[in-house]
Amino acid sequence: MNNDNFELKLQAYVDGELSAREAAAVRERLSNDTAGQSLVAELRNTNAALTGSETELKLPESREFFWSKVQREIERQERAVAAAPKINWIEWVRHHLVSVGGAALLTCLLAVMLLHGGGTGPLGEMEMASDEMGTYTYRDQQAKMTMVWFYDKSDDSEFTEPAAIASMDPE
Amino acid sequence: MKTNESQSSPSDEQLVKAAKKGDMVAFEELVARHRDKIYARAFSMMRNEDEAVDLSQEAWVKSWQRLKQFQGESSFGTWMTRIVINLCLDQLRRRKRQRTESIEEMSEESGGVERQMPVVTVNPTERLERGELRKKIDQALGQLSHEHRTVLILHEFEEMEYKEIAKTMDCSIGTVMSRLFYARRKMAVLLASLKTEETK
Repeated sequence: MNNDNFELKLQAYVDGELSAREAAAVRERLSNDTAGQSLVAELRNTNAALTGSETELKLPESREFFWSKVQREIERQERAVAAAPKINWIEWVRHHLVSVGGAALLTCLLAVMLLHGGGTGPLGEMEMASDEMGTYTYRDQQAKMTMVWFYDKSDDSEFTEPAAIASMDPE
Repeated sequence: MKTNESQSSPSDEQLVKAAKKGDMVAFEELVARHRDKIYARAFSMMRNEDEAVDLSQEAWVKSWQRLKQFQGESSFGTWMTRIVINLCLDQLRRRKRQRTESIEEMSEESGGVERQMPVVTVNPTERLERGELRKKIDQALGQLSHEHRTVLILHEFEEMEYKEIAKTMDCSIGTVMSRLFYARRKMAVLLASLKTEETK
């Protein structure tokens, strides 16, 4: 143990912060260390001087005046809290979570598309399982985008509104 | 002869109980009982009367707001003192962030200065009257940096252990130990020099 650490250990010894075993070791080393003994004496003198020697001060304001200030501040802060707009949780959830929910839904949709894509690309081909459904596709080369219309084959009309963008080509 | 006054005056616990239910009169009585102690602690840390008054007022406002959290594990006075100590530490940290440290503080923090101080072999406060001693200690405390003064106050006057001081001051136990060591050694030298000045 170097000298600096031993000085701090001596202080901890004076303050009763050492375990019984450590304190015994310090006592043993101190028995042959006059400089250490002087330091312990100085630390004890300083402690003794400080104990119970704190200056007694009085608040330099009258009881009534000080209390009126405390009371005014308490009331001011309570009014401020009462006046603060309360959070309407239903409104908050609707405002914040609906958009988050929409984004989550889109993410799930994309994840499903990727998982079932069969490794043909980021947005692989989709197959129509139903024989009753027909499709028209339109390929825009410039936008690198394919649009797909689904329609019911049993229906008289040729096709309905565009139903989905089936795929976008990767770069 | 004993008067009925001491028997009829409610204890702190009773006042706290009433104040928790919103009784402002009970709270005012608690303020009146402890205000000097709280102010004295704020002053000892800040060394400025106006700041000490403001911080002790803030401490009372906080205590009213947090009274429901007081479970009576310590005395009300101790709980209040902890509130004002934390407010003072916050204020000192804010102040420290705003200014650059003085050269003296930098040399103190770098460590080692206290080890060059000669050990004070005689007790410099021996045979001093209590009032005189208090005055000298107050003078000497005023010459310490706020970190060293605070650690000394928390250990000697608030009787906190190293671990508790470290938690309060948000630093390591090692830092507490070295700050306390420096503060005590410097106090010994300052008290000795104050005694020498007096005898001149």
